Amino acid sequence: MLETLANWVSQNVSEEAGTWFQYFTNGKHLAWYASVRFTLIAAVFGAMIAVLCGVLGAAARRSGFAPLRWLGLAYTTMVRGIPDVLFILFFPLAFEQLVEFVMSRGLCSAEELAGSAWPPCDAAQWYLSTTEYLIMACVSLGLVYGAFAANVVHGAMNSVPKGQLESARAFGFSNRQIFWNFQVRQMWVYALPGLSNVWMLLLKATSFLSLLQIADIVQWADRLGAPNYFARAGMVHPDWRWKYYFVLFLFYILLTIISERIFEWLQRKAGRGMALHGAD
Amino acid sequence: MDWLLNNPIVQDIITLAKPATFNIYFALASIPIGFPLAVLLAVMKNSGNGLVSRVARVYIYAFRGSPLFIQFFMFYSIMLAFNLSHWKPMGIDHIVMHPLFIGPLVLILNTSAYAAEIFYGALRSLPKGEMEAAQAFGMNRWQTFKAVTWPNALRLAWPAYTNEVVFLFHATALVYFTLPVINEQKDLMNKAGELFERDYNVFLHFSVAGLYFLVISMAIFYISGLIYKRLCAHLDTGAAFKLKPNYMR
Repeated sequence: MLETLANWVSQNVSEEAGTWFQYFTNGKHLAWYASVRFTLIAAVFGAMIAVLCGVLGAAARRSGFAPLRWLGLAYTTMVRGIPDVLFILFFPLAFEQLVEFVMSRGLCSAEELAGSAWPPCDAAQWYLSTTEYLIMACVSLGLVYGAFAANVVHGAMNSVPKGQLESARAFGFSNRQIFWNFQVRQMWVYALPGLSNVWMLLLKATSFLSLLQIADIVQWADRLGAPNYFARAGMVHPDWRWKYYFVLFLFYILLTIISERIFEWLQRKAGRGMALHGAD
Repeated sequence: MDWLLNNPIVQDIITLAKPATFNIYFALASIPIGFPLAVLLAVMKNSGNGLVSRVARVYIYAFRGSPLFIQFFMFYSIMLAFNLSHWKPMGIDHIVMHPLFIGPLVLILNTSAYAAEIFYGALRSLPKGEMEAAQAFGMNRWQTFKAVTWPNALRLAWPAYTNEVVFLFHATALVYFTLPVINEQKDLMNKAGELFERDYNVFLHFSVAGLYFLVISMAIFYISGLIYKRLCAHLDTGAAFKLKPNYMR
C-alpha cells in the first residue's frame, strides 16, 4: 500500500518527493506516529483518574471527620511544595517495590529475606511491560493532577449558591444527596476554567512518559533524529534531533489549541440553564 | 553524635545538600534575566502596535503551550547543531554547551512567558482612577509608567509571580533529565536517582529530595511575603500576604 503510494508520488509529483515520502513512511517513522497513542491514552485516562481523585480529595477536605479532613488537606497541599516529576517517578517505583515486597514474602527463602539485597530473590522480581508502565503512568498522573483538581473542585463547591443547598435541605434531602445531587452536580460550571488549567498541565506532563521506560513520542524523536548512517546508503542525514523536537514542540502547541476550543465549547454547554452572574 | 550521623535520613540530608545548590543556582540564575524579559513581553503584549503585540502573544502562547521538557531537548539539540559550525570556531563552545549555561537559558525563555502572562493580567487590571489622575497631572507616558503603572502592576502581580518563582524552582528538577551530567555536578533528582540505584530505597531518597524542594518552596513564599509587605507598606488596608499558595501555573 505505502510502497505503491510512494511509487505513485515519485512518478507523478517528483523523484525527490517520492524519496521523502518513503523516508517519512519508513518503519521507524510509522512507529513514531503510532507512539502518539501512549501520549493520548496517558492524557485521557490520567485526566479521568485526576477528576475522580479531585472530587474525592475535595470531599475529604470538607468531611466532618477530622483525620479525613487532614488527609485531604495534606493531599492537596503536597503538590504545591514538591515538583510533579518527582511524584511521577516515585509512585510507580514505590508501587513496584510494594508488590515485590508482598511477592518476596511468599517466594523467597528465609535466609534470602534476611539479606539486604533487593529484591531478596529473583523470583520476586517484577519485570514490567509497557502496558503495565502505561497504567502506572496514568495512575501517577491522575494522583498528582488529582491534587491540583481537588483544589479547583474545593473552590468550585464553595461557589455553588448557598440558597440551592438550603432549599434542598428544606425539601428533606439527606446530606449525602445534597452533596452529590446538588453541590457536585452544580459545581462543574464553576470548576471548568480551573479544570481546563489542570488539563493543560497534565497534557504537558505526558511528555514525561519516556522517564517510565515507555517508548513514547519523545523517545522516538530522539532515535529518529540521531545521525543516521547506513553502510549501503551512506549518510542518510546528520544530527536532525532539533527538527524532530521542533515537530513535538508544534505538536503540543496544536494539542493546546484544540483543548482550548473544546473547553470553550464545554463551558458554553455546562452553563446552559443556570443563572450565572458575570459568566460569559 | 554518631548515632545522629549514622541515621540514614540525616545521611541523606547531608548528601543532598550540595545537589540542592544546583537547583538553587538554576533558579537564581534565571530570575534576574527572566523578570525584566517578562515585563518587556507583557508591555509588548499590551502595546497598541499590532505587530509588536502579536509577536509577544505568539511567543507567550508557544512557551506556555508546550512542555518545558520538550523545550529543554529542543534548545539543547539546537545548540548542539550550531556547535561545530559556530561555537567551536568562536572558541566559546565549552561555555555555551555547558548545562550550567543552557539550563538557565531555557528556564529564562520558559519562565519569561509564564511571568509575562501574569504581568499582562496585572497591566489589564490597573486602577482606572489613578491612570486618569496621572493624565490630569499632565504626565507623559514614561512618567506615568514609572509613577503609576509599574508600582501598581508589580503589587498586583506579586502573589502570582511568587507562585511562578516556585514553579520555576520545581522546573529546575528537569534540567539534568535532559542535559548531560558533568562529573559530580548533579541536582537533587539526579543524586536521589543515583542513591536509589545503589540500594533501591525509593521511599528514603525521594522523600528527602522532596523535603528539600518543600523547604525551599516554603522559604520562597516566606521571603516573597516580606517583600510584598514592603510593596504594600503605604496601604493601610492591611493587605497581609497570605502564605496560601496558588495551585495553578
